[in-house]
Amino acid sequence: MSWIREGELNLIEKISANILKAGPMPKHVAFIMDGNRRFARKKQMERQEGHMQGFNKLAETLRWCKHLNIQEVTVYAFSIENFKRSQNEVDGLMVLAKQKFEKLLEERENLEKHGVCIRVLGDLNMLPLDLQQLIAKAVVSTKMHNKCFLNVCFAYTSRYEITNAVREMAWGVEQGQIKASDVSEALLSECLYSNNSPNPDLLIRTSGEVRLSDFLLWQTSHSCLVFQSVLWPEYSFWNLCEAILQYQLNHTSIQKARDLHREHQAFVQLEADRACVAEHLQHHGNGKPADARRRQEALQHYATCREERIHDFLEALQNRRDSYYTDLLSDAVVA
Amino acid sequence: MALLYGLLWRLLLFLVHINRALVSWLRVRLRSWKGRLWERAMAALLLPVALAGVPDPQRKVNQDPDANANPVTGNRNAGRRSRWLSDGRSLEKLPVHIGLLVAEEEPSYTDIANLAVWCMAVGISYVSVYDNHGIFQKNNSRLLEEIVRQQDLMGVDGSKCNVEFLSQGSDKHQHHVVSCRPSVKVLSPEDGKQSIVQAAQQLCRSVENRERSSRDISVSMLDMLLRESKSVPDPELVVKFGPVDSTLGFLPWHIRLTEFISLPSHRDISYEDLLGVLRRFGSCQQRLGQ
Repeated sequence: MSWIREGELNLIEKISANILKAGPMPKHVAFIMDGNRRFARKKQMERQEGHMQGFNKLAETLRWCKHLNIQEVTVYAFSIENFKRSQNEVDGLMVLAKQKFEKLLEERENLEKHGVCIRVLGDLNMLPLDLQQLIAKAVVSTKMHNKCFLNVCFAYTSRYEITNAVREMAWGVEQGQIKASDVSEALLSECLYSNNSPNPDLLIRTSGEVRLSDFLLWQTSHSCLVFQSVLWPEYSFWNLCEAILQYQLNHTSIQKARDLHREHQAFVQLEADRACVAEHLQHHGNGKPADARRRQEALQHYATCREERIHDFLEALQNRRDSYYTDLLSDAVVA
Repeated sequence: MALLYGLLWRLLLFLVHINRALVSWLRVRLRSWKGRLWERAMAALLLPVALAGVPDPQRKVNQDPDANANPVTGNRNAGRRSRWLSDGRSLEKLPVHIGLLVAEEEPSYTDIANLAVWCMAVGISYVSVYDNHGIFQKNNSRLLEEIVRQQDLMGVDGSKCNVEFLSQGSDKHQHHVVSCRPSVKVLSPEDGKQSIVQAAQQLCRSVENRERSSRDISVSMLDMLLRESKSVPDPELVVKFGPVDSTLGFLPWHIRLTEFISLPSHRDISYEDLLGVLRRFGSCQQRLGQ
């Protein structure tokens, strides 16, 4: 089965989609595709078959999202915790992933036509090398596409992602690119695997579980959470519509909460800058209290310098991430 | 065409709102109806007693603030207390740490205090109260007073409960007293992402001072910094009140495996509502990735 499904919605679906689109639509939807194994058990099929059906459902869901003008989708494909499953199942999932990424590379032209950019979020080092190389190929070859985005979380947990972001910032401090006092909420967000995406507007979990299971904890702090009882392979267009409707009902209040949070974030940043400037003036101000104008100038100067530092650091970080992929690819060529 | 779709969308939203209002109205009606039935049954039982000249204890509980002074209500309280405890024991599993997330415009201190007291009475050790405006944190003394008042009113021994209010940041660690007594904490958005940022800053500072290498930073290291003490686990259950389906910034690091259960409102919440949520939680199973 391929990644991209062609085909239009039927008439009723199209009308419903248009009605929904008259309201505020989520731009980025995240899915926890739960229930593949329960589905397999229910239908008395092999576990692996359940995972296959789950993938097919993903391709179908992407088609619906395209018709609903949802440009970005993030899915939880494989958690670091999933390595704890039986060796048999883990191997099966790795084989499935390999097949799917190979298939994806075959469909490159089609991906280009639809402008699909694929990103993989997680610690790829935990995966077998051949899978890493396939992923690198897929990511690099679709990097420039910009119509729709599919983020696949693989070997991912949110706590690991946050920890990794802290590690990256500490690396920046080690290199002397940033100071420890530059660490802020905004900078941490920029160091996550998801740095190139806006935060999801809507998170959908299927199969009736009501927890996040270490998925996008940071990014979904002001997202609409929808828990649905249907098993993932049985997910339908109408389930998706229901979730979007729920998002629309929540839209105003969540937007308000987001604005409040943004205001607060700006306030915290200003306070932090102020503290740094005050310390600086105390050390270099010859003990004389600075007047208000001078302090204001110093504050502005400090903020500009901080932004420059952070900009340079983020650029270096992006280069480091890019070179990880190119190294993998050149290794593959040599091999 | 676009106009028609817009109109239809509005109509759809309106219908959903009506549906919601109807459901919540029915729920309240059903409850009050059940309550009245219960009251009547109690009255029928107590009628002979009332005829014998003892004042009706049913009324007293609600009206007499000095409830403990009355021996009849005192007994009633004792009965209630043991009922709460046995309810807690009868559940398959009980959270050690519960979060109460208020996603409503106007918080009611009395209802939240009630909830906190009930949670502690059934045997939950840690109760965290959160709202995304930080209202409870700003008025924490008011909530504290209310909790103590409700404890007295319900006849729960106040000295057994340790109410502490976390403000953010550095004094967090000194604040905590190691104890097995139940405690209530009031959280605000600052305890969420901002506390992760502070932990990150702390680690980066130690890297800056060459005490540590960036490669040494691990999940468990960050977890240690974000956990105020070893004895307080992550909340296993968060009860969210209100119509907004979002965590609204509630402790992002700590809700990795937290179950979220929603109730339409915390206003006029009853003990039975809470018990229903705890029962639902008791039936949930976690596979932890397996």
